[in-house]
Amino acid sequence: MSDLDPIKAIGEERLLPAETTTKSITDMVSRVTETKAPLGWWIVFLSAAACAGLLGIAIGYLAWTGIGTWGNNSPVAWAWDITNFVWWIGIGHAGTLISAVLFLFRQKWRTSINRFAEAMTIFAVICALIFPGIHVGRLWHAYYMLPIPNQMGIWPNFKSPLIWDVFAVNTYFLVSLLFWFTGLIPDFATLRDRATNKVRKTVYGVFAFGWRGSNRHWRNYERAYLILAAISTPLVLSVHSVVSFDFATSVMPGWHTTIFPPYFVAGAVFSGFAMVMTLLLICRTVFGLQKLVNMNHLELMNKIMLTTGTLVGYAYAMEFFIAWYSGNDYEVYVFVNRATGPYWWAYWSMITCNVISPQLFWSKKLRTSIPVMFVVSIFINIGMWFERFVIIVTSLHRDFLPSSWGNYSPTIVDISIYIGSLGLFFTLFMLFIRWMPMIAMAEVKGVLPNAQPHHAHADEDHGHAPAALPSPAE
Amino acid sequence: MSKRKDYQFSKPAPGMEGKVFWTSLEAKADPVAYQERAKAEFVDGVSGSDTVSSESLRMKRRTFVGIAGAAGALLGLEGCIRRPEDKILPFTRQPEYVLPGISLHYATTARIAGDSIGLLVETHEGRPTKVEGNPNHPTSLGATDGYAQAAVLDLYDPDRSRFPASVKDKAFTDSTFAEVDKGLTAIADAAAKNGGAKLRVLVQSSSSPTFARVEKAFLAKYPQAKVYTYEPISALNTKLGLQQAFGISAEPAYSFRRARTVLALDSDFLGSEPGSVRNAREFADGRRLGSPRDSMSRLYVVEPGFTSTGASADNRLRLAARDVGSYLKALAAELGVGLTDSEGANFESLRSGVTGAKAPAGVPESWIKAVAKELLAAKGQSLIVVGSRQPAAVHALAFALNHALGNVGRTLVFTPSVDGAKAVGPLDEITALAGELQAGAVDTLVILGGNPALDAPANLKFAELIGKAATKVHFSSYRDETSHLVDLHVPRAHDFESWGDHRSFEGSISIQQPLIAPLHGGRSDIEVLAKLAGIEWWRGYPLVRTTFREAFGAGSFEALWKSALHLGVARELTVAPIGSVSLDGAAVGDAIKQIADAKTALGASNLEVNFVPDPGLYDGRHANNPWMLEVPHPLSCVTWDNAAYVSPNTAKELGIANYDLITVKDASGATVDIVTWVLPGQAEHTITLNLGWGRTVAGRYGNGAGFNVYPLRSAAAFGFGDGFSVSKTGGRYPVSVTQETHSMEGRPIAIDTTLEEYRKNPDFAEFRSPTLSTLPLWQEVEYKGHRWGMAIDLSACTGCNSCLIACQAENNVASVGKEQVARGRDMFWLRLDRYFVGTDESNPQIAFQPVGCQHCEEAPCENVCPVNATAHSPEGLNDMAYNRCIGTRYCMNNCPYKVRRFNFLDFTGQVPETRRMQYNPNVSVRMRGVMEKCSYCVQRIQEAKITARREQRQLRDGDVKVACQTACASGCITFGDLNDPNSKVAKAVKLDRQYSLLPDLGVQPRTSFLAKIRNPNPEIQG
Repeated sequence: MSDLDPIKAIGEERLLPAETTTKSITDMVSRVTETKAPLGWWIVFLSAAACAGLLGIAIGYLAWTGIGTWGNNSPVAWAWDITNFVWWIGIGHAGTLISAVLFLFRQKWRTSINRFAEAMTIFAVICALIFPGIHVGRLWHAYYMLPIPNQMGIWPNFKSPLIWDVFAVNTYFLVSLLFWFTGLIPDFATLRDRATNKVRKTVYGVFAFGWRGSNRHWRNYERAYLILAAISTPLVLSVHSVVSFDFATSVMPGWHTTIFPPYFVAGAVFSGFAMVMTLLLICRTVFGLQKLVNMNHLELMNKIMLTTGTLVGYAYAMEFFIAWYSGNDYEVYVFVNRATGPYWWAYWSMITCNVISPQLFWSKKLRTSIPVMFVVSIFINIGMWFERFVIIVTSLHRDFLPSSWGNYSPTIVDISIYIGSLGLFFTLFMLFIRWMPMIAMAEVKGVLPNAQPHHAHADEDHGHAPAALPSPAE
Repeated sequence: MSKRKDYQFSKPAPGMEGKVFWTSLEAKADPVAYQERAKAEFVDGVSGSDTVSSESLRMKRRTFVGIAGAAGALLGLEGCIRRPEDKILPFTRQPEYVLPGISLHYATTARIAGDSIGLLVETHEGRPTKVEGNPNHPTSLGATDGYAQAAVLDLYDPDRSRFPASVKDKAFTDSTFAEVDKGLTAIADAAAKNGGAKLRVLVQSSSSPTFARVEKAFLAKYPQAKVYTYEPISALNTKLGLQQAFGISAEPAYSFRRARTVLALDSDFLGSEPGSVRNAREFADGRRLGSPRDSMSRLYVVEPGFTSTGASADNRLRLAARDVGSYLKALAAELGVGLTDSEGANFESLRSGVTGAKAPAGVPESWIKAVAKELLAAKGQSLIVVGSRQPAAVHALAFALNHALGNVGRTLVFTPSVDGAKAVGPLDEITALAGELQAGAVDTLVILGGNPALDAPANLKFAELIGKAATKVHFSSYRDETSHLVDLHVPRAHDFESWGDHRSFEGSISIQQPLIAPLHGGRSDIEVLAKLAGIEWWRGYPLVRTTFREAFGAGSFEALWKSALHLGVARELTVAPIGSVSLDGAAVGDAIKQIADAKTALGASNLEVNFVPDPGLYDGRHANNPWMLEVPHPLSCVTWDNAAYVSPNTAKELGIANYDLITVKDASGATVDIVTWVLPGQAEHTITLNLGWGRTVAGRYGNGAGFNVYPLRSAAAFGFGDGFSVSKTGGRYPVSVTQETHSMEGRPIAIDTTLEEYRKNPDFAEFRSPTLSTLPLWQEVEYKGHRWGMAIDLSACTGCNSCLIACQAENNVASVGKEQVARGRDMFWLRLDRYFVGTDESNPQIAFQPVGCQHCEEAPCENVCPVNATAHSPEGLNDMAYNRCIGTRYCMNNCPYKVRRFNFLDFTGQVPETRRMQYNPNVSVRMRGVMEKCSYCVQRIQEAKITARREQRQLRDGDVKVACQTACASGCITFGDLNDPNSKVAKAVKLDRQYSLLPDLGVQPRTSFLAKIRNPNPEIQG
């Protein structure tokens, strides 16, 4: 490249190494789906599939025997089931945030990770959706929650936050799926065009929806993408807000809190980024994508984690403050009990993982260290699981009347279903990275310098349609 | 079916005559004959075809339709998934009174917990399903205890013995009743030869006039034979004490309503003592507060371990059972100062006997002085009651004191005993029998009921002695420990299956009317004894009728018999109490001498053990009853087990803690391994052991539940005894409790105060519970019709658990088993919360609080149900639609009272067929995955409304009585229409001590509580 680098000239950093070309991007990303799967992929895939099988068996046993196979009991009617649900939904938040919100804010660094994050969202939401389905006592009647006209003339109870949940999560899933798929269309077309055998050509051809890369296609595509991004953006806030209503609208001390919606959203973004980080660091190394996903991206993500982690820490502190300030004995007791009661270890695991560990990212050295960020991202994943466990179990296990207080401990089925859901997630993820372009090629190309209209070589390309995505709002 | 009209063949239409219309070749060939035939087809009763000539082959049209219909129905059945495998037959004639869907109540009586109790049993299509108290019967007054409630499940116990059996080496070979009769005849024949010299019959204690009559006939036939009585929990000490004091053979009946001051000495008169149901009602009546101006009685309790009575005490003194006699002596000495001989009591000998008696160590001075002062102040209105476990001498002294205080005839009366026989000690007869067996003086031993191999005093080694008799017969509902050791086992009919009669302690005579034919055959005690006695009409019905014919006189017998059956009590025969008694001063003096002060001090190596009837299993007879196994011990909340209850300090001293297995050893070296449970309120250095657990052949539910403590129960320590030691085995044992936290954590939950405080501040309860802070979320509903509500008076609750079991029986509530209880999945719709109150960890007060669904106006469960499965009824009930429930359990989370119960597993599918017969057909049996909870007995509300509509009248207050309400002996539960200003419940909720639970949440619970008022003597510390 020439010495007169226009990016540098306007005081910005390159998002991608200077030698990256549109071809190298296409090659790097497409290669993963075209070559034979590495051994590592097989190992991860098969073990994940085995865990997913465990999930199937555990759910079968659960359906046959009843909720009693879990550790749930009288004061603690929800436990790992809803903990897992909220955890997975939270993880699913990063996708939309990265794809839609950062898109609208023109955060172009997102292009390297958005596909990845969106896929993760879809799979996390699939895992999350399992739990409301199976946690009901009579899961063969779970469809009563849907507003299906019926001869009994009974509708769902629209006052119930669980119904809001059904709508919120399903909406989120559908919009995320559309958004993800829309973004995939140009890349599917790339894979189709590169295909050397008929099967690949046909399959990718079907998913590419006849994409030819014409100007009109790009125009429509960008409009659709923008609209979907605009629809998705409020969902980032709404889904977890609605999930938090499950708790916030109840009368239980520890649940009945107005801080829950923003607190849950911050937590969701926090956990979502952590999960993206964990997966990204692995795939980046395994598939040699360091050039596309570089330290710049990782550092920016760490900054977001630091921010949201601190927000979450603030929420934890504020819960205590409000409990004390409210003067409500039940409320005070629940929070003191969280920190000092039988589940103190869960509470302090949560604080350590969620509040203390991201503070490491204040240091530039630590937030640019791959091992540190990997460990911290794992910590946050664990911590955010504990957060939901703490909210659900410790609030329920000691509520108003001490006579009904009890304790909770998980059973082997609880654990199997949790591990199984991780298995399902990774199975889907492994299939995704094997068969789909895991990085949004078209979008990454859009942030290359030569995609810009005023690029030094613009004269040479004059008259051609832009090879990749221009800036979204034109 | 109406008959079809003959078809009219019309003439051809004009212009059509020429055309030939024909339907078949036959018709065309000979239309006239064809039409005739066609006509004949419809002639009634003839199918018309000439071609079928054989008479037998002819089929009537109706028969054809019938068969075709039946075939069709069979085809339809064939397609069903559930095909009835048994042949069923319809009623060709409806039995009298039986209307499907309408329940019938029959009066009967049963011998329960040492006394008889009058009952009304609800039956559905011939199946007894639910036990209620008989309001006409003085022992019940409409209420029952838990044992009576559970009796109906015993009836359907799948493990009851179904066939007679010959037993050899503990192996049963089923036989028939013909064989049994042969065996009985052989016994009778053999006995006839020598006057029954070697024939011994062991029976359970009986209050039956018929039994007494048959026994007399038996002894008349076999003058040398003997009938011995043994009861592991008996009231004979009381009877013996009474005999010592007044020289009468009688039983005491108390009137707690009239007693202003009650001193209970190791007596659980509200729980396990005879007459407890009546006692509880009367006791509660004596302290029901309508306003602060009302007076209430004061109860002093001196006892080693917590009982229902101790929990209801205003002042309670923890004292080892062995020191109770000494305490009474010291109290008598103090009383002696103020007593005169005025009341006709020969008090001088008594006074000299007790002079100088000292209170046992550790008894505060005030417990003598203040109690004595108050007893003297309440002469004629006080009562000293002594528990049956205490020796006869203590009873004698107490009766003497009652006499001296002028209480006899006022707060207690004596009714002559049924047989008029001289009282003996509780162990005298079994010891005599054991001696005879040992000496080989018994050839034939007939055991009528009971389980002596298990529950006879350990030192007698009765199980071994049974083998000494050549012929041994055991009549028993179960093939139990004793049945294994005999030659012939015969099923004994349940009380609800057989005729009998009973006399209660207070003198009422009532008939035990069977509700159902014996499910598995079986005979009653009187039948067997009558058969042995050679009475020709030995069946229960003629036996009982004969007794009553003799009693009523032949003239008006039928009418009186019918009325006695109908009412459940033969009022004409009620035994009048003994008019006046005179104190046998010398005998009481002797008795006092027998009350010796303890010589050795109790300590870690000299512990006292108390054997008490179990609140669930009693003496072990309900050991296979899942309701009784699962009902939590009222004080410790332990289910499915018994435990060694020790005080916190003693536990510390012994180095034992909850879940530790310990070995309890008596002076003779007998040991029992049992789990420890620390129970505040237990006297130091005492252990309370509940009888009846640890059965090995009780049945599928009871086997292996708990620990058998009978091996420690020797004659020396039959009620209690010292000289026990404890060592840790090192093992641990899981215990399932329904309540793990025992303090209210300073929250206003079960609110109580003292009478004094209440008079100063009548509305303290409302004051203590925080005020409503939130506005209703939704527009409030106005209830124009009924507005059902409940009020629970905590002042009267004794924690007897009968409401829990009544609720379970009424509402088909499942028992879940020990493991599930440990997981917190018990299904009690109504639970009894128990809190320890006060700062002294070893000597707390108790607060009981029955908590069922509060039926909130702004029910938090209803808002959150995603499928509208729980909703408000127009009468304000919080209803559950089981069919709609999908089991998200959100309602359970959001219920601040945690009264919702979830079917975590299939708790009902495995219930055996016989037990299903107990199900109330008016209440759905819930499947797994469904939420359930207290419905305010909505089925009873509906039934009452239907009845009222049929009778074309308004619903009256009292028409609807919910199950817990009817069972409650002390009458703490009031239920009715809050919109009816004159209803009892509407009045109850207006009382100043009314409060609702957690009112600050704004859920507006329908159920109200009336705060508990205690009446402690301020002069007594602790």
